[in-house]
Amino acid sequence: MKRLVVDLQRCSGCKRCELACALEHSSSKEYLDVFKSKDGLKPRIFVESIGDRPVPVVCRHCADPLCVSACMAGCMQKDIQSGVVNNQGYEQKCVGCWMCIMACPFGVILTSSIDSKASDCTFPQAIKCDFCPNKATPACVEACPNEVLTVEES
Amino acid sequence: MHYLLIGGSAAAVAAAETIRGLDKEGLITIVSREKYYPYSRCLISRFVDGRISQDNLYFKTRDFFKRHKIDGILSTEVKKIDRGEKKVILDNNKELSYDKLLLATGARPRLPKIDNTDLKGVYFFHSLEDASLIKEELVKITDAVVIGSGFVGLEAAYALARRRLKVTVIERCSQVLPNQMDTIAARIIQQDLESLGVEFIFNESAIVINGEERVSGVTVSDQDYIPAGLVILATGTVVNKELAQEAGLATENGILVNEFLQTSEPDIYAAGDCIEIQDITSGKRVVSATWFNAVLQGKFAGSNMASFSKRYSIGVGIQNAVQFHQIPAISYGMAMLDTEDPHSDYEVVAIEEKGVYKKLVIRENRLCGIIFVGDISKAGFYAALIRHGVDISKHKSKLLDPDFSYAYFKEYDFSEKPPYKKVNLCWDSQYWWREKVRCMGI
Repeated sequence: MKRLVVDLQRCSGCKRCELACALEHSSSKEYLDVFKSKDGLKPRIFVESIGDRPVPVVCRHCADPLCVSACMAGCMQKDIQSGVVNNQGYEQKCVGCWMCIMACPFGVILTSSIDSKASDCTFPQAIKCDFCPNKATPACVEACPNEVLTVEES
Repeated sequence: MHYLLIGGSAAAVAAAETIRGLDKEGLITIVSREKYYPYSRCLISRFVDGRISQDNLYFKTRDFFKRHKIDGILSTEVKKIDRGEKKVILDNNKELSYDKLLLATGARPRLPKIDNTDLKGVYFFHSLEDASLIKEELVKITDAVVIGSGFVGLEAAYALARRRLKVTVIERCSQVLPNQMDTIAARIIQQDLESLGVEFIFNESAIVINGEERVSGVTVSDQDYIPAGLVILATGTVVNKELAQEAGLATENGILVNEFLQTSEPDIYAAGDCIEIQDITSGKRVVSATWFNAVLQGKFAGSNMASFSKRYSIGVGIQNAVQFHQIPAISYGMAMLDTEDPHSDYEVVAIEEKGVYKKLVIRENRLCGIIFVGDISKAGFYAALIRHGVDISKHKSKLLDPDFSYAYFKEYDFSEKPPYKKVNLCWDSQYWWREKVRCMGI
């Protein structure tokens, strides 16, 4: 089971993880294209702030994920091996019903607008942290200059 | 151990999966009246308008029954429960014995008191069978009437409008979604559907469905006649509680269960749309027909049936997420208060701008309901604050700020493992920067 661990005291709030995340999940992997696209920047990690202190909010890939229970299409699933919770790459397809957004207590699931170029999907999709399936280490972890984010295997 | 589950949708499937996770040996049997493999009822509108195929309706993979060693008996109804002998009698007169029984019989569409609902071309919008029949009819039809504007009615109206039918929705209340949304949210959703050509008639009930053999139209008050080749009845649901009633189990509006989802007979459990739940936001007992509730109850019931006791205490009657055309909307909990009654102890915080409407209902420093329309981000976080009764008095001025987020409540883990490493005590004091300096080695 993989998950992200956050060392709050090290975070300077530079938001490089957000940029890296948005870039990794774009089709072109170019900053300018991401900014210009209809959706704009949609990172799946959120460096929020309380007063002047940054607090990165991340998907926990929960042990008993409510987003999975809520999903009426059955596309949101928890991978048995890796423990990653995601709605892409399964037999069932996301239909943009937003039940997962209503269910997630941490508020880390977003809506995409329909990007007809990117895929053949008819529906806007729920987008969330997928632990960067094409990378050995998630983009946010790689991008963090202060070693705030680490991957923990258990 | 033989677990027998009656019902073939969200609750029963979730229960079966949970039981199998906890008891590898026990026999699990699902008896469903549906002839199809478990599919998602909520998605049939998307099937009718052709956006998804029938294959995409199934919310579990094809090998689900086999993989979990579940015996699935489809197209079969349970006629009777024999509590004494601990067995059920099926409609083909076969008998099945059980050790633990789950009633997940769901709800059926309500038949409105209108004449001629038996004409050809009059349908419910409830099952895959309805949807397939409607889909076949669509090729030769140009106009349709939907009676009722709850979620089912609007889903149907939207699907038909996408298929370029002229759709009229008749609603006896003064707004769409009268049980789920307040007037402002309802108006935004109505406009979203109107942009696609759907027409609405409010404060009227359909009086009679006209036609001989086949429907030709609907008469609304004395003079209004709306021609229609297709009529969809979407006037709410009725709980399927007869089986439980005849077995002598306690029922009121729905089947009554305790916090372990047990009925009045300890070996019989019930979950899903057929039960009454205690709504923690309003304090009332309600019947709630939502997917999320059904799945959670199924999981809790399954766990209890497999002797892993789990208290179900998170019932929230209203929890809806929806997007018809362009505008997403979520309502959760008790958010229906329209006007501020000076004597009530409810507070309402709301913003409405540029197609975004957000409303929070607060009672005694705790959130008890939200409606988000247009921008639904973080709705689940607010829902968690409601579910866990979190005191928000410290943050009252910030509740609808764009940066109001889980970060403010990071000490609440909402029963999941926290991702944050332990912070030094002074992190939460005004000298937090000293800790930062030390930690970064500056």
